[in-house]
Amino acid sequence: MALATASADAPSAAQAAKSNGGRPQRAARGFVALAKASPFIAPSFIGLIAFLIVPVIFVFILSFLNWSGAGPFSWAGVQNWVSIFKYDGAGHSLGVTAYYVLLNIPAQTVLALGLAVMLNRKRRGMAFFRVLYVAPYLSTPVAMGVIWFWVFEPQLGAIAHFLNIFGIAGPNWLNSSSWAMPVIAAVNIWQYLGFNMLFFFAGLQGIPRSLYEAAEIDGASKWRQFWRISLPLLNPTMLFVLVTDVIGSFQVFDTLYVLTGGTGGPGDSTKVMSLNIYDVGFQGTRYGEAAALSVLLFSVILIFSAGQFLFFRNRTTYEYSV
Amino acid sequence: MSAIALDPPVSKHGTPGRRALVRTWTIGKLTVFYGILIGVGAIFMVPYILALFGSLKPESQLLTVPPWDPPTHPAWANYPDTWSNFSQVQTDFAQYFLNTAIVTVCLTIGQVFFSMLAAYAFARLKFPGREGLFWIYLMTLMVPNIVTIIPLYTVMDKLHLVNTYWAVFLPYALGTPYTIFLMRQFFRGIPQEVVDAARIDGCGDLGVLRRIIVPLSRPVLITAALIAFVFSWNNFLWPLVITNTQSHYLLTVALANFNTGPGTGEYLNIALTGSLITLIPMVIVFIVFNRYIIRSIQLTSGK
Repeated sequence: MALATASADAPSAAQAAKSNGGRPQRAARGFVALAKASPFIAPSFIGLIAFLIVPVIFVFILSFLNWSGAGPFSWAGVQNWVSIFKYDGAGHSLGVTAYYVLLNIPAQTVLALGLAVMLNRKRRGMAFFRVLYVAPYLSTPVAMGVIWFWVFEPQLGAIAHFLNIFGIAGPNWLNSSSWAMPVIAAVNIWQYLGFNMLFFFAGLQGIPRSLYEAAEIDGASKWRQFWRISLPLLNPTMLFVLVTDVIGSFQVFDTLYVLTGGTGGPGDSTKVMSLNIYDVGFQGTRYGEAAALSVLLFSVILIFSAGQFLFFRNRTTYEYSV
Repeated sequence: MSAIALDPPVSKHGTPGRRALVRTWTIGKLTVFYGILIGVGAIFMVPYILALFGSLKPESQLLTVPPWDPPTHPAWANYPDTWSNFSQVQTDFAQYFLNTAIVTVCLTIGQVFFSMLAAYAFARLKFPGREGLFWIYLMTLMVPNIVTIIPLYTVMDKLHLVNTYWAVFLPYALGTPYTIFLMRQFFRGIPQEVVDAARIDGCGDLGVLRRIIVPLSRPVLITAALIAFVFSWNNFLWPLVITNTQSHYLLTVALANFNTGPGTGEYLNIALTGSLITLIPMVIVFIVFNRYIIRSIQLTSGK
């Protein structure tokens, strides 16, 4: 190592040493190292600045400006912040988004964990099922949305046809303001269940068998083993899955857009934050208000993520050695 | 869940009658176990099968027979009709497919290549400010996509890139913090001796990257390419806002517009066929690379 770097840096370091000593020489070497690394870093760094850091800073500024998508910006002050609550239903949207998260996360997590526990054993076909369950995760959400839209169609859909066999007249599903959101949540659970299952599966695989064997000898039932060994040791996985899922759920868009025909309907019963941002910004061309909505959503997501983080950090984490 | 809670009610060493009971119990347990797994699998597969049947039925049949009836005389015409303009409704999935393919290829190549360069610098080069810079990269992982949509649109507007292919893939084609992180972890695991040997043989940084790192990192490079490919092919919100003429639509945008455009049930055969055309590359990726996909998920959780 030493030999290789010395030979690579030798000419420039020697040059630097000729005129300067000690610290300046080190600074020169640092400069050379930076110069050598910069072609590798520069593209991603430019991308990071232009497409992430500048937009994140700018969204805060834009939330205090008027902009219609063309022409100059003008100062709006807190006006955007007032009007999103007054005219754009920001409060309602937040409530609807929270309702969606509540429908989605607990069911999704419990089902994913249950499937992972079932698949975490040495039986025939486990790998096959594992692969099968991941298929929806890869499937284009918009395409699946079109298909599910048809499946839930109140007259033509498979579910309506199926219920008809038993003489049941089902609800209007996506046309009903009380059923639309549960249907959207169900479709999203269908889409991401296998994906989440894999995280729990990977977590379970990491727990040493010896712990279960010891529990077995002590006479602990499988049920007890799950609560006392698997679940506590899955804490880090649980944190990861919950944080990423909650962040994702707060941003739900693709499936919801297709299932509600881009309206967030019926009425505005499924008009979540992301759809509101899209509507106010790109349909209403009031980008200042849309930016204010974005900042609002960002704050809520940050608060929830931090909350989950603290909740899990304060719980005991278990150390074990094999 | 129920399967784990149950235990044979008798001890392992019993009378022959008891042993038979245990066997029945075990068989029953296995039946429930596989029953649940197959049931869940069926729920996962049903929409694909229904859509496949639906895409092979003429519209009139879609409105009458139950969706699970297999098509009696497969209406293959749905596919060419969806692929290029047919008389009753404007469909140009050939164009959308091409647009999506162009954008996806550019995004994937760019994201993998530039992430690789950055990951190499973070993993293998020493330069002042490296740790701090990497920390900034990681911090940006916390920014939700939706938050940057509005300002990103403004940036693209100022760059005069709205409604171009460039605008669709550029924000993701210069490397993403997530992929850089994933690759950096992998690159750090490559033994230093191998790199030193290459350097003694006269390799510079590019030589080391090309001759040592890339050949040894194929799994993580394939994983990164898959992540980029799937992301780009399925991406919807950004293409929806940044493209506004039909000639630049991606498959997802065209599909969503088509579904919301005509009335319910109208041209349903076309909508279903379009969905399946959109899914074909994902099905291929899934069949060929499922090992890598499962691996990529495990890589993510292992951090």
